[in-house]
Formats: sequence, C-alpha cells, structure tokens
Amino acid sequence: MINHHPKNDILTAFVSGQLPASVSVVVASHVELCEHCQQQVELITAQQAASAFNSASDNELIGEAPISNSEIDELDMIDMITALEPDTASVETAPVEVAVNSKLLTLPSALRQVVLKEWQGLGKLSRARFDLDDDEMRMSLLHIDKGGSVPTHTHKGFEVTLLLEGSFDDEMGHYSVGDFIWLDGEHTHQPVTQEGCVCLTVSSDAIHFTQGVSQILNPIGRFIY
Amino acid sequence: MLRIDDYVEQLKARAMQKSVAAIDKKEVCTINANTMENQVPPELSQWLVDVANVRCKRAFTELFRFFSPKIKRFGIKQLGNEAQANELIQDTMTNVWKKAHLYNADKGAATTWVYTIMRNASFDMLRRIKSKGEVQLADDIWPTFADEQPEEVMFGDHLMEKQMFNYVDSLPEAQKAVVKGVYYQELSQEQLAKQLGVPVGTIKSRLRLALAKLKKQLGESND
Repeated sequence: MINHHPKNDILTAFVSGQLPASVSVVVASHVELCEHCQQQVELITAQQAASAFNSASDNELIGEAPISNSEIDELDMIDMITALEPDTASVETAPVEVAVNSKLLTLPSALRQVVLKEWQGLGKLSRARFDLDDDEMRMSLLHIDKGGSVPTHTHKGFEVTLLLEGSFDDEMGHYSVGDFIWLDGEHTHQPVTQEGCVCLTVSSDAIHFTQGVSQILNPIGRFIY
Repeated sequence: MLRIDDYVEQLKARAMQKSVAAIDKKEVCTINANTMENQVPPELSQWLVDVANVRCKRAFTELFRFFSPKIKRFGIKQLGNEAQANELIQDTMTNVWKKAHLYNADKGAATTWVYTIMRNASFDMLRRIKSKGEVQLADDIWPTFADEQPEEVMFGDHLMEKQMFNYVDSLPEAQKAVVKGVYYQELSQEQLAKQLGVPVGTIKSRLRLALAKLKKQLGESND
C-alpha cells in the first residue's frame, strides 16, 4: 500500500512540464504505480488545459497587440502540416527489465529509453547511474542489501526517492513499494532495510553526513550522489 | 546591438496590419463570430475526429486558428522567445495532425488532449535546447500516446467490432475515407462528397467497392 505521495504543488509542476527531466521521471514512475495520483494528474491536467485554452485573456499576457503570425505564414504552416502522413506506427511499450543483485526488476515506463550504466558496489550498497543529462541532477538505481543501511545524513540539495522493490525504515516512517519521498536539508535520516530494497533516486548534490568521521564517509556521499 | 528599437517598430507595424486585418475579417466573416470569441467552441472534438477519420483539412484549419495563438502564449511563457514559441506551434499542431487518431473523446476534452501534446512538445524542445538531449523523453514520462492495451476479457461484440475496424483499415485510402465518413461519422453521401471534393457518384462507387470487399473478407473468415 502506497502511503507517501508527491505533494499537490509537485504534481502541478509535473503536469505543467516544469520539473527537471530526472525529477519528472521519478514522479511519472510513482504515478504509474499509484491510482490515487493518476486521478490527481488527470484532474490537474484538465485544469491546466482549461487555464491555457479556455481563458478569455488571449491578449493579456503578451500585451496590447497579440503578436501573431501573418495570415500567409499561417496558411503556409497549415499546408505543410497537412501534407504529412498520419503517424500510425505503434508506440513501443514493452517493459524494460534490469538485473539487480541477480534478480530481474521491471523498470518504470518513463525509463524505457534511458540507458543504465554499470553497477558499482560499496559494502551492502550498490548503485548504477542512468545516463540522463540534467544539469547537476543525477539519477540512479540504489540497491541496499538485506540488513544494510545508509549512515545518518542530510542533503545539501534535495533527494527524491521512489521505492521500487522491498522496504526500508527511517526516523520518519516505514516505506514500501511505490512510496515517493522528497527530502532536503531540513531532514536528517538513516534509512535501514531488513529485507533489502531497490530505489530510484535523483539527487541534486552530494549527501552530507552528520555523524561519525565525515572524511571517511565522504566517499559514500559522493558514491550515492 | 541597438536593434531593439527596430524590432519594436516592426512589432508595432505588424500589430497595425493585424488590427486592420482583424477589422476586415469581422466584416466579411460574421458566421464565425462565435468561434472568434475566446470561449472554447463546442466543435473542437468533432474537428479532431474529422482530422482523424477523413484527414479533413478544413477541420484542421479551424483547430489551428483556435489553438495557435494560445500555444504561442504558452510557448512564450515556457520557452522565452517568439521564434521558439512559433516552433512550438508547429511541433504541436504537427502532432495533432499526425496523431489525431489517438484522441479518444470518451477519455477527456479535446483541450486536455491538445494540452498534453503541447506540454510534451515544449518539454522535449526545452531539453533539446538545454542539454542537447537527443532522446525524446516526454512521451515516456506522460504516456499520452501509449496504445491502448486490449482489455484482457473482451466481449464478443467488441472483438467483432475490432475485427471490423481492422478490415476497414486494410481498405485502400479513398474507400476507407468513404466508409469511415458514412458509417463512423454518419455523414450523408452528399456531405461527404462536399468534404472530400468529389462527385456524389464517386462516393457511391467507392462505397460499393468497399462494401463488396468487406463482405468478401467477412465471408472468408467465417468459413
């Protein structure tokens, strides 16, 4: 049962296409698993469409005179477009599977075309990066083996996590498959997993350890980011 | 460097032309007064269906007239300049033309469907500009165009209907347009003749040929 959802303002930014690509992928992956958020997204999309197309204020935002194509440009564009053939090729929808710790995991559809790089391990942690160019954001699959944990840390930037398999706990709660977690510098936590877990994560900066000898832990911070 | 003044002048001149054109239009074209208002015309959905079924250029032109100024406004807000906003109009309306058959009126308003296409086009444009990302991600993130997976349990009727659709799809283009116009859209042969720009006799003969072909196919598969 999914208990942790993106907040409404995140869903709204998602629908309007204003989130960074990698964060959009994580939100989309949650929505794919979560009926509740599917309904929310449907609702917000209809609202956004209404405000983009129904409003009586075509001219307001651009100023007095609507900047518009001349009549001739418009007809050219219509001629050009209507000369094209309809696009009847069916969309590739086969799920993509990857091996995580020698078990197969079905990736969310939003990741269908994104290349996963090789796994790297550090103790009970392993991670594989996705090859997605998105400013300073990095997207990875993070696998924590049975009984593993990430030492207590906070985040310099933000970290978005979607639990794809297994479960974990931290000071703030228990998380299971489909849960969406958005953390930033205000949160300090130590995720622990009994049964092991696989997460899809996006971080905007290295994580910052708050306990122990930080110099020793710094490589892990960079590793996870 | 100091081209801004020239640019403003150009804009002003263009705005002038535009308002003159608008006055002309008002005088000539009173029938369309309702669609010139900013409210959403009720025909949007039908126009999309006409584009899907009979590749109706007139319906597409109506869609273009309604949506392009609004897409432009959205584009200027999201992409920041007029050239890219124009590119967004082109990308969006091209996809509307090419993918109209994926629009399902039962699943939502025409405006919602076009919004998702515009949003996806804008998202991929921004990615192309920002990160030279070659992969078109938007349709995976918002699976607007995902083919409907057939329901696992299908009723006999639906199966038959689906098979019928397949037969119709396998007809030559000209015959397909006539069958779709007459049976899916319930247009009269006269209306269809006008829409496709051919004599009524041609519609009749295309329909006869198409029905003969469909009958043959159904007979064969019932053996």
